[in-house]
Amino acid sequence: MTEKTAACVEMYGVSKSFGEVRALDAVDFEAAEGEIHALLGENGAGKTTLMNILSGLYRMDEGQIAIEGREVDIHSPQDAIAVGVGMVHQHVELIGNFTALENILLGREGSRWRLDVEARRSSVEELAANYGLSIPLDEGVKSLPAGIQQKVEILKALYHGADILILDEPTTMLTPHEVDGLFTILKSFARGGLTVVFITHKIQEVLDNCDRITVFRGGRKIDTIPREEATREILVRMMMGERGMPPEGERPTGPSVAREGEPALSVRGVRTSAKWGVPLTGVAFDVPRGLIVGMAGISGNGQKELAEAVAGLIEVEEGEVHIDGEEVSALSVAGRIARGMSLLPQDRIEEGILPGLSLAENFVLGLHPHIFRRRGVFEREAAHELGRNAIAEFNILARNEHVPAAHLSGGNIQKTIVARAVMLAHETGGKVMIANNPTRGLDVMAASFVHGRLRELRAGGAGVLLISEDLDELCLMSDRIVAIYAGEILGAFDGPEYDIYRIGALMAGQREEVS
Amino acid sequence: MAAGVSEKKKVAMEFAVTYAAAGALALACGAVFIVAFGGDVLVALGTVLRSSLGTWGGFAQTLNKFSPLLLASLAVAFGMRGGHFNIGVDGQIYAGAIGMTGTAFALEGMNLPWPVFVPLGLLGGILGGWFWGFIPGILRVRFQVSEIFVTVMLNFVALYLVDYLANGPWNDPLAGEAISLPIPDASVLPQVMPRAGAHAGFIIALVAAVGMYFFMTRTIAGYEIRAVGDNPRAARFGGINVARVTLIIMPTCGALSGLAGAIEVSGFHQSLLLGISGAEGAPNYGAMAILIAVIGRNNPLGVTIAAAVFAVLVSGSDSLQRSIGLPGAAVFVFQAIIVLTVVFVQARRNVRAG
Repeated sequence: MTEKTAACVEMYGVSKSFGEVRALDAVDFEAAEGEIHALLGENGAGKTTLMNILSGLYRMDEGQIAIEGREVDIHSPQDAIAVGVGMVHQHVELIGNFTALENILLGREGSRWRLDVEARRSSVEELAANYGLSIPLDEGVKSLPAGIQQKVEILKALYHGADILILDEPTTMLTPHEVDGLFTILKSFARGGLTVVFITHKIQEVLDNCDRITVFRGGRKIDTIPREEATREILVRMMMGERGMPPEGERPTGPSVAREGEPALSVRGVRTSAKWGVPLTGVAFDVPRGLIVGMAGISGNGQKELAEAVAGLIEVEEGEVHIDGEEVSALSVAGRIARGMSLLPQDRIEEGILPGLSLAENFVLGLHPHIFRRRGVFEREAAHELGRNAIAEFNILARNEHVPAAHLSGGNIQKTIVARAVMLAHETGGKVMIANNPTRGLDVMAASFVHGRLRELRAGGAGVLLISEDLDELCLMSDRIVAIYAGEILGAFDGPEYDIYRIGALMAGQREEVS
Repeated sequence: MAAGVSEKKKVAMEFAVTYAAAGALALACGAVFIVAFGGDVLVALGTVLRSSLGTWGGFAQTLNKFSPLLLASLAVAFGMRGGHFNIGVDGQIYAGAIGMTGTAFALEGMNLPWPVFVPLGLLGGILGGWFWGFIPGILRVRFQVSEIFVTVMLNFVALYLVDYLANGPWNDPLAGEAISLPIPDASVLPQVMPRAGAHAGFIIALVAAVGMYFFMTRTIAGYEIRAVGDNPRAARFGGINVARVTLIIMPTCGALSGLAGAIEVSGFHQSLLLGISGAEGAPNYGAMAILIAVIGRNNPLGVTIAAAVFAVLVSGSDSLQRSIGLPGAAVFVFQAIIVLTVVFVQARRNVRAG
């Protein structure tokens, strides 16, 4: 495989702009048959945009694409499938109520496909066996674990004739065991002659699993290098450019540094109803003062519901939530904010900002009952001053405090939300911070900013609950990690060193044997 | 602060460009339409403007149309700012008219002087409309019923209630039609231009527009309403009690519409009758209010300007028939063209910006 085989995918001079943002600037890219080719870069570097063009989701503004030496026009996902390009997106795009088999066949056989499900079963089974994918074909997709759903998507792409398989951040939703399994499969694909392109921002995955690596930064291709020439330092420099990596920040010290007194947050036997999503079935844990407690779990195992139950957004059927020693289950969100809770919501667009309102008006959300001195009066000057200060202090890229929040980039929106939560903590005494996936989708610099602020809150004596799907982040930040599975806490681990395979086993629902 | 001003200037420029383009396009479309009917464009335009603004009587009629249009449009805009689509303006206008009339009859024997009686009557109308807005509000909060359905249904309820009252208990036996007894003189809204026939309603409506502006931008309740209207989920995460805010929004919409209805009774008709919401042959105020709110972008100043333009068109519509033989309804076609072009131009600009 060291000897380069014929280029299978070639893209030349590809440019793409969204409005004023140039997402791709004259990018060349080439992947060979039978290789695993990594596209490495930060969020927003352009790697997903390039692959969305190859798979027909976006139209490029300029450039050419050739597959196996022949120039092709790809205007739609159908065109891409016709030339053998299949893409598995970051978030599963299957129909939950259909079985795995129905999902795999969907779109393949025109309007009569339903009649043919049984007739085509054997061909799907044969294909699955050839590629070593074991999938329960008759299960409803909804009930399958994320790792299996991903295999369904992969098999679907193969069934639709893909010999160029693109995977966008395929490991985000997987446990460490599942990640290993995925790469074993991908390597066997490559040996069988498929071209595998996988998009990631995780350097270790690239070093462990790829034949060649193409690095993107700021919408440009930096270079393509073979695995043998790559080291962590080289890749970091290519990804980050002159900026270098942000400072690491102090490592967690483990639970021994917990401050005296009542825990900042105490969740005691909390149960919630299924009407709010994944029901919590008696969740109990504490977040002591001055600690960051990480919550590990695969997305959709009750993390969101837990955060909302603690925040007072959904109703607790049984059990208690205590903030700083006070039982708050009966209090409203505003009541809990007044007692020192702040929240970084999971979905920064849907839950975090008021897109049409100005930045200043966004900063005061939640703070507004506290900062205005005259009852009932919205003091605009006070809000504007707060906005100006926050923009300066938190280094938010915005023209001024009057621009609508919707005009900001994702990273700056998250900074805005973090700034608000931090100001809230200052205003209310900052007892508890609930951070639900606070760095998802952020570039390294912005993520480092968020981490720094969470550490500051910890140093100030707050208890921080950090919910994340990224085990690396949790290991880096947490003094203790609890694992959640299906609405239940399956175990707790004290830091600062962690065994990710043990945590991963709990994330997958395997209870620890008593040793 | 300088930056803030330039930001506002830029927004104002965008506004001006959008509306100039839309206005030009609407005029062009309207001209095609008039020519197609064999009319003369300039004559038509001149007639509308002269009859609505060029005579004292016409100007008074325009002012009298302006007040219910503005109040009704503020009611829609207020709801929109809070994320609620109030299409129950007509019902709330009727409820306000009933409240006004009922209060006037109830206090008839007390010999109140007009400076006391008129405000009490208007308050009765406001309360009537408030209640008509409270019903969809509480149903929304308690049972998650869409306010769109409830407000539409309540339109019918209010309409038939007026029908019943005007034919039944409050009927004027001498009138021989569905109309109530006249309200007492002391409850009649004073005239500002007695000879021309303009009542003081437009002043009240303008005060309401200014009041809404300050309420939205300078009070915490107004901020919370805008937050909920912009992104209810984020507002909830920020500790805002969305249910409580909804119970401010819908009844306030109703109160504004109710005031419009009360003014129509107290200032114009001086009795309760069907057809209070809208002139004969014209769309209802409720329908026009939605258009005005759209054109005015739910902003009190924009809505005031748009309501003034519509008042001119409505009040000038009668003369079209007389001067160039176009049906008066042609004006409403023209109104629709304005709305469509504004929406179209806005959408084009959004596409280019996004």
